[in-house]
Amino acid sequence: MELIVGGAYQGKWEYAKKMFPQAAWARGEDCTLEELLQADGVYGFHDFLGRQMDAGEDARRLPDLIMEKNPELIIVSNEVGYGVVPIEPRERAFRELVGRVSCDLAARARRVHRVICGVGTVIKDA
Amino acid sequence: MLTVITGGSGSGKSAYAEDTILSYGEGERIYIATMFPFDEESHRRIARHRDMRKDKGFQTIECYTGLHKIEVPAGSYALLECMSNLVANEMYQEGGAGQRTVETVLEGIRRLEAQTARLCVVTNETFSDCQPYDEETRRYQEYLGKINCQMAQMAQTAVEVVYGIPLRLK
Repeated sequence: MELIVGGAYQGKWEYAKKMFPQAAWARGEDCTLEELLQADGVYGFHDFLGRQMDAGEDARRLPDLIMEKNPELIIVSNEVGYGVVPIEPRERAFRELVGRVSCDLAARARRVHRVICGVGTVIKDA
Repeated sequence: MLTVITGGSGSGKSAYAEDTILSYGEGERIYIATMFPFDEESHRRIARHRDMRKDKGFQTIECYTGLHKIEVPAGSYALLECMSNLVANEMYQEGGAGQRTVETVLEGIRRLEAQTARLCVVTNETFSDCQPYDEETRRYQEYLGKINCQMAQMAQTAVEVVYGIPLRLK
């Protein structure tokens, strides 16, 4: 597994496409779980997490599921949680979910990249 | 000796901070808890943290305001979590330091550092998003930001944790 994180609009997906030019991508905003588990990569993974949460699914199991069904997946996801605690409970739950799932993914990923201003840094290389 | 550990929400700061304290080896471990349990969600968060550090031999001291007044065993290894809560308490709780929050908290950190063999402080990056905050919240960011900068200056080590991965700032 490869995990690519960073803030919004930092060029994460461009970075990912350059690094993995052959990959077929699923879009977290509207892909199904099946599509995600068959794709080479997924971008906007945080959106997928939000959709799972809103649908009442247990998204915390996704890291295990991905490791089992699609362990080579390239995951591009926004870093959230760098602001003041949101007033809306749904937003608090969302950033908590993205944080915990991302920690799990980072622990399992072979490499973790962090992209800022379009510049990627490998912050974990197991 | 002071270590500052920062990061976003849910980034794995706490687990990293606890591991840091454990890495110092045997010794008296003190956990200074600053989250005031005001609603069900905060009770849940506190319970989650308690669960994380059970079996790690921490003695918990609750400190919602007035950090400069607490005493911990000399030569202990102390973990303070989280600066973002302490600052909010000092600013908004009755009897808190209010406008003198920055000086009061930093005085508390200096005193605590002098009492302990090692002090780790967990704080929070609340400075990078696009929500239109009101004046009061911006003041909170200002106070916490100033404290973070000054603590990091005092510290031997400052680390940002990104999803469990420590990035060394200093």
